[in-house]
Amino acid sequence: MDGFTCNLKTYRVRKGMTQGELADIVGVRRETIMRLEKAQYNPSLKLAVDISRAVEAPIEEIFVFD
Amino acid sequence: MDTEMKPASKFPLWLKRAAGGAACAALTGAAVWYDLTYNGGRLVYPMHSYAFRTTDIPMLAAVALDVLYVLYLAYLIVRWSRAQKEHVIKTGRTRRLSPKLGFLGFCGFLGFAGFWIYGALGDLSGFIFFAFFGFFGFFFEGKMSNTLMDERFKENAAKAERKAMRTGFGIIFVLLLFAGQAGRLTVELVAPILVAGIALAVALTLFLSEYLLYRYDHDDAAALEEE
Repeated sequence: MDGFTCNLKTYRVRKGMTQGELADIVGVRRETIMRLEKAQYNPSLKLAVDISRAVEAPIEEIFVFD
Repeated sequence: MDTEMKPASKFPLWLKRAAGGAACAALTGAAVWYDLTYNGGRLVYPMHSYAFRTTDIPMLAAVALDVLYVLYLAYLIVRWSRAQKEHVIKTGRTRRLSPKLGFLGFCGFLGFAGFWIYGALGDLSGFIFFAFFGFFGFFFEGKMSNTLMDERFKENAAKAERKAMRTGFGIIFVLLLFAGQAGRLTVELVAPILVAGIALAVALTLFLSEYLLYRYDHDDAAALEEE
């Protein structure tokens, strides 16, 4: 997706979580986390907030829009 | 505590049900043979008025048994459908289906019998069977059986349904334009084309909504192309 960068992988790995574990915490499929990390999917505000809380990082640093 | 357990049956349940159907079909066949041989075939060939005779009993009993079997099958389908609905609500996952159900799509070929039925009886209902081609979509739904319906899945499902509906309605619109020319063509020609065409449009819509959902969910290139 143009103009969208996702730094989720960095924060997830820093937290020591697998894609599957993060997916279970936020209630989505592992494939969705995979797409997010590849910046191929634009999450809803709720999912973005849930992820931000799960990896304990500010939302605007995980999801960067140009 | 009662620890006594029922011994496991030698035959699976589906086989018993299929055997029940086969038995009904065999009894009906035997009843037809009896009717043709000993009853002058009066319940086989069309009749204008009916008066009961004791020799009709085998045929009537066979038909009653067939009706009971069909009602039993309908009950099984309703029960299965309710269980699936409960599963979806309780777990937030898709229906549990086997991709093998996609073979039901071959029932769509029965639609070709519509040409014969229309020619012989002037009845258009045979063409409706073309809609059964939509059951080929079960192949893709089965592949996504018991999948967690997260927000990306729901988004893809809505996108696939939208595109399928647009395609189906597009075809129906073209058919309506064609039917509008009925003044120049005979109604006998327009009516079967309209019924068969709408049945095929329904089938395509049903199939596409499952096929596109599967593609959007699994195919990176397709998903990006749609963004």
